[in-house]
Amino acid sequence: MNFLWKERLPIDATHPSLALNPARQVLADSSVSPPSRDEERRLFWRLRTKLILRQIRETARVARFRLSLVAFLTVVFWAGLFILFAEGFQFLQSTLDHPAIYEQTVRVIFSLFFGSLMMMLVFSTGIILYSGLFVSPEMGFLLTTPARAEHLVQYKFQEALFLSSWGFLLLGSPMLFAFGVVSESPWYYFLLVLPYMVAFVFIPGSLGAIVCMLTVNRLPRLRLHFLVILTGLIVLLSGIFLWYAARTQANDAFTPEWIETVLGRLQYSEHRLLPSWWLSTGLLEAARGASAGRQHVAWSESVMFFAVLVANAMMSQLLVIAVGRRWLRGSYSGLHCGAAKRKPAGMTLMDQMIWIFTGFLSPQIRLLIIKDVRIFRRDPAQWSQFLIFFGLLLLYFMNMRRFHYEREQQMWVQMISFLNLAVVGLILSTFTTRFIFPMISLEGRRFWILSLLPLDRETILWGKFVFAAAGSVFPCGMLILLSDLMLGIAPSIVLVHQLTCVLLCVGLAGIAVGLGAIMPDLREHSPSKIAAGFGGTLNLVLSTAYITAIVALTAIPAHYYLSDLTSWRRVTSGQSASWFWLGGGIVAALVLCTLTTAIPLRMGMRAFRRLEH
Amino acid sequence: MIEFLEVTRDYGRKRAVDGLTLSIGKGEVFALLGPNGAGKTTTIKMLVGLLRPGKGRILLGGYDGVEHPREVSRLLAYVPDEPYLYEKLTGREFLTFIGQMYGLPNPTLKSRLEREIGQFGLHDFVDQLTQGYSHGMKQRLAFAAALLRDPAILVLDEPMVGLDPRSARIVKDRLRGEADQGMSVFVSTHTLPVAEEIADRIGIVDHGKLLFVGTLGELRALHEEELSLEQIYLRMTSAPETEPGELSPSE
Repeated sequence: MNFLWKERLPIDATHPSLALNPARQVLADSSVSPPSRDEERRLFWRLRTKLILRQIRETARVARFRLSLVAFLTVVFWAGLFILFAEGFQFLQSTLDHPAIYEQTVRVIFSLFFGSLMMMLVFSTGIILYSGLFVSPEMGFLLTTPARAEHLVQYKFQEALFLSSWGFLLLGSPMLFAFGVVSESPWYYFLLVLPYMVAFVFIPGSLGAIVCMLTVNRLPRLRLHFLVILTGLIVLLSGIFLWYAARTQANDAFTPEWIETVLGRLQYSEHRLLPSWWLSTGLLEAARGASAGRQHVAWSESVMFFAVLVANAMMSQLLVIAVGRRWLRGSYSGLHCGAAKRKPAGMTLMDQMIWIFTGFLSPQIRLLIIKDVRIFRRDPAQWSQFLIFFGLLLLYFMNMRRFHYEREQQMWVQMISFLNLAVVGLILSTFTTRFIFPMISLEGRRFWILSLLPLDRETILWGKFVFAAAGSVFPCGMLILLSDLMLGIAPSIVLVHQLTCVLLCVGLAGIAVGLGAIMPDLREHSPSKIAAGFGGTLNLVLSTAYITAIVALTAIPAHYYLSDLTSWRRVTSGQSASWFWLGGGIVAALVLCTLTTAIPLRMGMRAFRRLEH
Repeated sequence: MIEFLEVTRDYGRKRAVDGLTLSIGKGEVFALLGPNGAGKTTTIKMLVGLLRPGKGRILLGGYDGVEHPREVSRLLAYVPDEPYLYEKLTGREFLTFIGQMYGLPNPTLKSRLEREIGQFGLHDFVDQLTQGYSHGMKQRLAFAAALLRDPAILVLDEPMVGLDPRSARIVKDRLRGEADQGMSVFVSTHTLPVAEEIADRIGIVDHGKLLFVGTLGELRALHEEELSLEQIYLRMTSAPETEPGELSPSE
């Protein structure tokens, strides 16, 4: 240790660097010139690369198995989606005989798919950027350095774009590759897929970033209200769109006229100014290159659309930089100078209702639940995305028409009802991954409070489990009930659906709370980063597997039960066999739910008891 | 070197800093004292460019922080009470990043790195990831990063929190030494003995208003009895109050 220990002046006056600048000038050191724009950009790039590589290396060193498992599961997930999409495109190709109708249908599917994801990318990038740019401690540090505002915005924008778009790439790429394989597209189609997708994500991402910065700059004190109003407007517009697109006469569905009508109504998703249309059209052109005589035309068309996407992506980047340069510092200051509203000292109406409805639990668990609910509802940046998801689902269900078809079509209706159930489960699983799984990790610095509370650590986990399970049962149950009512499902199946919904909520809560306690990350403050890590990924994969198993265990017996009800078999064999399978499926689902809830929770409690901080 | 000209900052209806006018010269150590919620952190955040004054101006070396944020950033270094460090960088990498961000030429950077590592006794842990550092180690690294580039102005928010007595001694002596060489030091602290020991002048702020500026001798001269700084401070400041319905988020 080279401590200099003199009576008053510890500075090593003999050190050559101190002799460099004996008298300070107004600008501290005239020999020092600030880095140029390029140098600064490179500096941030090197910082980012170093941080990522260090993280990967450390994970590979201390958790090689986890890393391999994540890679393996990602590949399996991708391959599963690829097969699913390939089957879907083959089905379409064989069902829609005419190539023009097939192409038009695929075009609409692409436009709708990418159009919806484009909207999601706008919001998710904006919300993630808000956390990174205006709330993170890192920005508090970087804003005191001479780094240029536009580079700070770029640095954080890249992070936000990556976090918001990896899901898009994971979902979109298997679909596009599957389409290429089924359509026997030329080699350059496959080469173009990823560059197309990357160029595309910059456009909605940039739009989200600009909306975020403008919102904070212009409405720093109205941000919550703005978010809620905007969410409401999106849900309303989506509802109008869905109603417009899906309205139909009762017996028209699946007829050529119906397909033509629906395609016509969905044409607005193919507006020529939408980047999603440039992406779909450019890739479709590249895919059709093999057809004789048109190869060079298709190739050049595709390159043209790619150029349009890249040019717009670059332009949108320039806009983000310009907005950031102009407004970042002022917006940051404006946001942090807002008055913090005093919260009500006692229990709100919602708190009182939770207190009453959880009366059967111990007071400690009830208090923990109220604490978690308060934290959750005071963080609109987190729950607003799910409000959009659930709002869209609600509108979709509300716009479904009762089907009055023949026996064969009744089977389709049942299938749709179970698919709706699965969709609700999948959205719930993203919710539990995003909110419930990181809950233990987010205790982080507050962990000492929990450790010192006069209650067992198990109680803390039970509190979080009840919060997650009970909190999700009502909205999910209502959504599924609405779906069933709109589809005109038989009461017995409605009951099966409600039971399945409860099983999904309980099981998914058990997985998320258990895994959250088994693999907490007490250092990380960002729930999105915790959810995007290994534990979050594992949670999502296990949840998806659980949903598939539970829905299959209830849907397949229900299918046979309904087949029996509507066939002559029941005359000869009676209902006992179908009831047996339906009951057996429910019992199996109950057993699976119990195991899926108990095992992770038990392991989580054991890990949580041993946890030191 | 530092000039506050009628600076006011509100949080909603709550006035955090009220018409602050203050001038701090080259080579001066100035300590700002005040109870919780008095406006010290807001003053510091405005000084380092994180917040903008609602009214008035802050000039550093003649530069207005709102109009010339980069020039002001080059002039000053800031050590907050809870410094931000990149957890996946080592201490040396963090210092290098800071040096490069301020454009230190490589030979100068190398030489100053060694100087600061030696001064703050970082040898034992400077090549470890900062995620394993204690609060005191982080604080020492933050000081090293701040002093690495010989800033003209050093701004410190509660600089002694988390430092062991030896490190605190080093910091205090270093501050005094740097000020003697021309650095202006602005310290916000609750620790009265620190202010008493290192400050050339002190300011006492309460409810956003500057109640006193001067030397300790001038402060004592205002009171007839022989009082300690603590007794004078307690007499001058009252318990913090907040407007109903509003709180200052950063205090």
